[in-house]
Amino acid sequence: MAHFAKIGMNGKVIAVLTCGNGDMLNADGVEDEKVGQQYLERHNNWPAPMWVQTSYNTSANTHRLGGTPLRGNYAGIGYTWDEDDQIFWPKKPYASWVKNMTTAQWESPAGAQPTLTAEQTSQNAADTHRWRYNWNESGQSWDLTDGKA
Amino acid sequence: MQKKVLSEIDLHYGIINMPKKFEINSEKLQEDILSSQLKNEELPYSREWDKLNTYMREHVNVEYGFTLINKRSWGNVYKPKEISIPLLNIDPIDLKNSPDYTFLYGVNVKNCGVRIHYDQNRRKGRSWDIPLTNNSFVMFPSTQMYYLTNNQKDSLNFILTTTYEYI
Repeated sequence: MAHFAKIGMNGKVIAVLTCGNGDMLNADGVEDEKVGQQYLERHNNWPAPMWVQTSYNTSANTHRLGGTPLRGNYAGIGYTWDEDDQIFWPKKPYASWVKNMTTAQWESPAGAQPTLTAEQTSQNAADTHRWRYNWNESGQSWDLTDGKA
Repeated sequence: MQKKVLSEIDLHYGIINMPKKFEINSEKLQEDILSSQLKNEELPYSREWDKLNTYMREHVNVEYGFTLINKRSWGNVYKPKEISIPLLNIDPIDLKNSPDYTFLYGVNVKNCGVRIHYDQNRRKGRSWDIPLTNNSFVMFPSTQMYYLTNNQKDSLNFILTTTYEYI
């Protein structure tokens, strides 16, 4: 079973459909994205080039089963298709965040979210605190907050 | 001081922006509307209707995050200068089975418009006018009364109406 993202006129993903492996075999019996696109065009009244194959197992440019990642992320409704870089981008979480082309994720200008210390993690596990880092857009920093405070 | 909006009357309008060579074939829709009117039958299911319906449902889902479910669909033909009676697509005594949204699509129209009535607090009976052109749409809550205006004098206006429920 293959997944295809339906791309709207503004480059946004408007739907994600599945296509049976048997419906995307070329004359040589090999799975071919173009054949799948033609099949979807015929059955869904939407042009073939605006169907783009996406991988259910790809996230943050990593294949969770160890295979080759396809187009950065599994496309979701509302994602944006970047044809030049061949990446499905999720919605930008904050205005200041920038694209990380290696991980196919949005990244804060202050870098990745800091990890909690061992003590904070154990306090979370014991449910005495609820430590977590939240992005502070106005201060452009990661703020540590305790949800139980 | 804080503010909370408990209810809103959301009007959606625009053009059905289909990809090239996949545009809605208005002649096919016209034929279907005319034939359903003459035979007094339901609007038949067609590829063109499906393209339009799918476009609306998918774009509303992407832009506003809610899913539309079809209730009914029908077409109207208006003669020159013919103005519709005030229309209301809910049944006030059967709200459970009434639609949430009314969608109007200009199949082949000229000098046509929609007047939507609404109340703003104690200022009752206000209205908002929007022209309905070929390949354009207006969608609004079915609880709003509306009527179609028609100022042209030499041709028929074809309008498709679909009602939706949302989840």
